[in-house]
Amino acid sequence: MTTSDPVLRPSRATPLLPEAGAAGTPLTVVIAVLAFMASIALAGYFMVSRAVHDWTGDLSGTITVQIKGATGADIERDATRAFEVLQATDGIAGVSRLSREDTEALLEPWLGTDNLGPEIPIPMLITAEVTPERRGDLDILRQTLASRAPGASLDDHSLWNDRLVGAARRGQAVAFVVFSMVMGASAAVIIFATRAGLAANREIVEVMHLVGATNKFIADEVQRRYLTLGLRGGGIGALLAAVILFLSASFNREQQGLFLPNLSADPLMLFWLILVPILLCGVASITARLTVMRVLGEQM
Amino acid sequence: MNSINQRSTNTSTGAPIGAVPPKIVDLRDVQLSYDGQHNVLHDASLVLREGDFRFLTGASGAGKTTLLKLIYLAHHATAGQVQLFGQDVSTLPPEALPTLRRRIGVVFQEFRLLDHLTAFENVALPMRVMGHKEVAYRNDVIDLLKWVGLSHRMDARPPALSGGEKQRVALARAIVSKPDLILADEPTGNVDPDMGAKIMQLLIELNKLGTAVIVATHDFSLVKRLQMKILRLKDGQVTLHQPLSDIAADAAGRGTR
Repeated sequence: MTTSDPVLRPSRATPLLPEAGAAGTPLTVVIAVLAFMASIALAGYFMVSRAVHDWTGDLSGTITVQIKGATGADIERDATRAFEVLQATDGIAGVSRLSREDTEALLEPWLGTDNLGPEIPIPMLITAEVTPERRGDLDILRQTLASRAPGASLDDHSLWNDRLVGAARRGQAVAFVVFSMVMGASAAVIIFATRAGLAANREIVEVMHLVGATNKFIADEVQRRYLTLGLRGGGIGALLAAVILFLSASFNREQQGLFLPNLSADPLMLFWLILVPILLCGVASITARLTVMRVLGEQM
Repeated sequence: MNSINQRSTNTSTGAPIGAVPPKIVDLRDVQLSYDGQHNVLHDASLVLREGDFRFLTGASGAGKTTLLKLIYLAHHATAGQVQLFGQDVSTLPPEALPTLRRRIGVVFQEFRLLDHLTAFENVALPMRVMGHKEVAYRNDVIDLLKWVGLSHRMDARPPALSGGEKQRVALARAIVSKPDLILADEPTGNVDPDMGAKIMQLLIELNKLGTAVIVATHDFSLVKRLQMKILRLKDGQVTLHQPLSDIAADAAGRGTR
């Protein structure tokens, strides 16, 4: 025979089980939608985690000392003493005192401009950076400030931090539950589709058995199909999610400076989204395999 | 043909000359019922040894296809003992059955080709389910398809094939894996006389190389011409008959038509 003989053409083996029942394009769409939801849930988990880490990291690295008093002179005296105490304390650096002008600017949204006469005693703020070691033991500093500058109160932001971390943990738990439910729904859909596919291809499965196919061989065939399907559907869903997150990140960058934490996506998080199609592939192929083995085992 | 030559090599280490060939099929007092009340097979017994060639005859509805299904493990006996290749199938775990099925080539009466596969792929199916790579069986499949006169139809799918072409693809699929036993249910029923004779000649050649063959047929001219022993199925029981003489064939033909 010559190489021009048409029968010697290299062939690509046709899948032994054709797409039938609920498998095929409709199932790819369903998997893509589930992958999109799983990606958004996963992204939400990481975005909240990152935002809280950034925010609490900023806050826990600083302390704020607020000085109040009955008169401007009292405030000025206590502010100077507090400033000196902070500068003299180990583990405290970058002590910065807000000027009266800066403070007035902070109050402007509530009190308007030029409404604060020089006789009004505006509280003063001093911020400082604190090392983790010092942050663990701020009681001595509090006592020193209380004795040297009675109008000063130290705020280490722990109350705000705790509330923020608590809210973030709840948000992460919700995202994780959603992600898990989507994976569970994917498994349920695959079980249904696999059973429907086996029922629709009953004659083919029977012929395969009669020519000597083992259940494992048939399960391999089905598993290969669902692996491809999971990769295709999962990839489409994750890609759509990545596009949405990218657009969202662009929008968030434009909103920088707002009081809310930045919930934008970063490239590393987008990398984690690759996990979604991989996980869906795993869920789809393993679920399909177990379903085939179970169904064929029941028929024997 | 490659497949036949290879089969010859496989059987060269068979039973010593003069020894009784090993049993391929051994049915003892087998009963089989679809509804639990009416037995299609009733205390049916038969022995088929390596190298045996048998025609299976009987009236329509006598249970010829059922008997073949029992042997190729599509049905289970309700009572009695079924031994294939020396193994009692009732004692075998389900996962052991594919190994036995791979030693049996079946030509189904209704062909049972897979419509989404090409003729080539249908013939190659047993090799594929056994895990062989295409490079290992490609030439054998091509040779077989050429031999059955379908070299020009290798890429055609069953819906595009005629009844005779489907029959030939089904035959090629049954023998591609060089089985120890071939069960053919009306293998010449859908082909012209020339192709029918060719198919029977192939089965005889395979039989001469040691393959046991059972051909279920209504065609008594075929039974008469080939002069092989006959398994006659009547009232759910199997009886073995010597090759038909012309007169006996006429008589038997009248009785079973």
